[in-house]
Order: sequence, then C-alpha cells, then structure tokens
Amino acid sequence: MEKHRQWITTHEWMVKPTAQTEWVDGQGLLIWLAEVFSALGMGLYLVALFLNNWWGQVAGWFIIVGLKLPFHFFYLGRPWRFWRAIPPFTSAWKTSWLARGMFFTIMYSGFALVQLITTYQLEHHLVGASSLGAVTALDWVMRLFAGFFMFLTGIYCGFAMSYCKSVPFWNTGMLPIVFVIMGLADGLGLVMGIGLITGGVDFHAIEAASRIFLLINAMLIATYLINASYQSITAEYSVKQLIVGRVAVGFWLGVVILGIVVPAVISIISLYAAELSPPLLVIAVISHTIGAFSLKYCVLKVGIYRPILSRVPVY
Amino acid sequence: MKYGMVIDLTKCSRCHACVAACRVEHFLPLRVTWVKLIAYETEDAGVVDVSTFPVRCNQCKEAPCVDVCPTGATQQRPDGIVQIEAKKCIGCRYCVIACPYQNRTFLSKELDPGYFPGHPKTRFEEKGKKLYPHQRGTTMKCNFCMERIDYGTAHNLKPGIDRDATPACVNTCQARALTFGDLDDPRSNVSKLIRERKPLQLQRELGTDPSVYYIDGIIGGKDNKAPIESQTGSHIQHLSSVEARAKEIFPELKQGK
Repeated sequence: MEKHRQWITTHEWMVKPTAQTEWVDGQGLLIWLAEVFSALGMGLYLVALFLNNWWGQVAGWFIIVGLKLPFHFFYLGRPWRFWRAIPPFTSAWKTSWLARGMFFTIMYSGFALVQLITTYQLEHHLVGASSLGAVTALDWVMRLFAGFFMFLTGIYCGFAMSYCKSVPFWNTGMLPIVFVIMGLADGLGLVMGIGLITGGVDFHAIEAASRIFLLINAMLIATYLINASYQSITAEYSVKQLIVGRVAVGFWLGVVILGIVVPAVISIISLYAAELSPPLLVIAVISHTIGAFSLKYCVLKVGIYRPILSRVPVY
Repeated sequence: MKYGMVIDLTKCSRCHACVAACRVEHFLPLRVTWVKLIAYETEDAGVVDVSTFPVRCNQCKEAPCVDVCPTGATQQRPDGIVQIEAKKCIGCRYCVIACPYQNRTFLSKELDPGYFPGHPKTRFEEKGKKLYPHQRGTTMKCNFCMERIDYGTAHNLKPGIDRDATPACVNTCQARALTFGDLDDPRSNVSKLIRERKPLQLQRELGTDPSVYYIDGIIGGKDNKAPIESQTGSHIQHLSSVEARAKEIFPELKQGK
C-alpha cells in the first residue's frame, strides 16, 4: 500500500485546507456580528412591514442602522475612508458585492426612515385632510423602496460570500437563499418578542408562518450540506468540520436544536394551545436569535480555503 | 503587453533569496512576506521527495481581488500587473478572502511590531518609512516590482532582460529559476519557456488565468537543472545581494563609515 507522509516546513496554510480567519476571528468577530444583524434586521423589518407593525419596523431599522453599520464600520482597517466604497465615489458596484451592499444599506436606511415617519403620522392621525392622500401615497412608495432595499441588504451578505471561489463551501448560489430564509424565520421570532412588549400581534398567525419557514429552512440547510459535500473535497471537509468537527457543537446545539427544533416544537404546540404562554414565546424568541448567531458563526468558521497545491495528500 | 513570470521548479534550490530580496526591495514589515516559499516533503514507498513552490501574487488576468474590491483600490494596469492603491484601501479584507492563492496580507499592528520589538527602529526601517511607506490597516501584496518596471521602461530598458527593469526576486535568483518578461511578446524568454516547457498555472480551473507559471519538478532528482554552484552558494548570493542593496540605501556604507 502506498504511504504518504508530509512535513510542512513553511506556510503549511497553503498546502493544507486552512480556515479563513479574517472574517470570524479577532476583529473579524465584528463581521460576524454585522452579518447576523443584517439577517435579523432584514427579517424583522420585512415581517413587520408585512404585518404592519410599526414598532417592529423601528426595531428592524435600528438593528441595521444602529448595529450592523457600526460593526461594519469598526471592522474596517481604515474606517474613515468608508465613503470610498459608496457610489458615486466608487464605480466598483459593478463587480463588488460589498460596494453594492453599502449602497443597498444606505438606500434602505434613507427610505425606511421616511417610511417610519409617514407611517407614524398616518397611524396617529397627524396628517391634515388636505395632505392625507399625498402622505399615504408617499408612505406606500417608501414602503416599496424600503422593503426592496431591505431585501437586497439581507441577501447581499450571502452573495458576497458565495462569490469567493477560494472558499468552496461558500461558493454556491444556495448560500444567499439560506441566509434570507433563516433571516425571515428569525424575523418572525423577533416580531413575537416585539408583540410581547407592545401587543397587537397575532401570535398564532406568526407561529403558522414560522412553521412553514422553519420547515423550508431545515430542508434548505440539509440540501446545502449535501450539495457541498459533493461539490469538492475542500467543501466536503468543511461539511465534516460542521457536522462532526470543531464547530459541531455550535451547529447541532445552536443552529439545529435552538435555531430550528425548539422554535418548531413551540410552533407545533401553538397548533393545539388556545393561547401561547409568554415564557414559551420568550424561549422561542431567544432560541431563534441564538440560531441566527450560530448559523452565521458556523458558516464563517468552516470557510476553508482550497489548498493551493491540491496534489499534496493532506486529508 | 502583459508581464508574467515562469518559475522553473527543477532549478529552484530553496535558498529563500527571492524572499529576502523582496523584503529588502519593499522594506517589508517583520511578519510580512510577499514572496513565500512553500516547501514540503513527501514519501512514497520509502523514497523521500522534496518539492518547493515559490509563490507570490499570481497577477491573475481575471483577478477576483480586482472584482471584489469595493473602492477600486485594487486595479489591474494595462500591463497586467494587479496593484493596490493604499490610499484608497479601506481595509475590508474582502480581497484577502477572495484570493484563491492566499497571497494578500492585511497589514495589522501585530504584523508590524518593528524588527526589534521594544527597541528603536533600525535605520533600514526608518529609511523604508520614507522610501517605501506601508499603511497599517490596508492590504498589501507583490506587485512584480512595478516601480522597477516603470523606471526601466521610462529609460528604454527591457523588463526581464535589463536588471534595473526586472523584479528584485528575479535578479537575485542564483539558480536562475525565475524568468520574467512580456507574455504577449512571442520572442520573450517567458513566452519561449511557456511554448517549450508547457508550465502549469496554479488552480487554473478557477478561471483566474494567473500570469505566474510553474515548470514542475522535484528538487534533488535527476531533473534538477540548477547549476551545482547555486545549490551550495545560494546563501552567499543571498547575503551579497542584501549587502549591495544596503549600500544603495545607505551611501555611507560604501565609504566604510
């Protein structure tokens, strides 16, 4: 039997499958948090927009503007040059998902701010009869644009990662879809949390939607992992790291149990219960949120580069 | 005109002179190397083979780093060299992630502690700050010594032929394992080597079309074509090239001060 032995004398990261660290370790934790808040903010805002829940929209907007953007900003090596990544100061949006993402986020922030103001005015009857029609029309236009750019803000993170051929596990068109569906499922969870504080939320309707999203999400994640394990040796190695390797605890406990199973069980209980108890809803909200943090962490953590010299027997 | 490099692995004697020359040329911080030498050994049925791969930025013709850069700080020049304009770089590190060859480095404080941490900077470092300043918080990589190429072409010199217009690593390679030149010129040395030796490109299947080519081989085997003196005298060459460069930078050394 042919035996292989290998001694790496220098730069073993180039000949072994090595995990990326720039976006998950040390200062890279800020990117992880920013990505989580992108998904949570998108999910919450879009669900709240659909349910016409103003406080949910405010919370979603704050998550994007008050949490996601600052985390992105402080991650940069040269933060005060951030404007260089924003059109019209750059034309890189033609190819760069990061430049596109900056644009989407800023557009969303602006449109959503106007929409929050107009919706508040309309809900509290602060608009005179003469301008009611114009403000209502403006509100709808702003909802349309804010929702559109919010969706793009939520999905661009996935595209930014899936563009990287260097990391085969990310390099699939399924990644943005997984992030968006998980974000929407988590948004449903967060809206329940908002409803617990402000009221005016139909928990049964949200739980019904949550069941569907969680089912889709579970199937998507399973398909994603199966697909990745066929894609390349490095992607398969990433899947192994996720399922039985160094981030297996985070994946099974955070993503599967807390992110999917617990919320799913609670949503099934809601089928038979006349009224869901607040502690159960709180558990659902917390487990949804932990699931969102875990998913992004695990996916970033198993972002493993394909070795440069693939002929080296390393696995 | 597209500049490229052919690296003959059958000649590489693993001396690290290219690594040192690059450090001297660009005044690289302590923990940063633009040119790296991957060396590994494999054993098949009791026979140990040693291989080396000097790697640097591949100056890809379809460079992912250029596409992902959100500010346009990473650009491709008409001559194919992928360069970073440090003053435009925001330090997002997207290019570091996207480079399939892991040849980009984000210059953090940890990578630049000074050559002798806790002690005053050396004269070499002080000079480097003036002659070739690097910005912390930005990304850096090999640029095929584009300053030398620009200088040379401005003085009617031919990159790859005339030393003053040729990358420092190529100039310093004792074994003559590195060949530099114009890939678009069928008469250039690199084009001839590509035609005759059919070199490989790293991870060609990714569609990046690197401008760095490798003539494959195993050091110490029958196909080692490095001059025998280079295999023993590489360190002497390495030191003498550093000394020559030091004299260029510090004229007082020439006068023995």
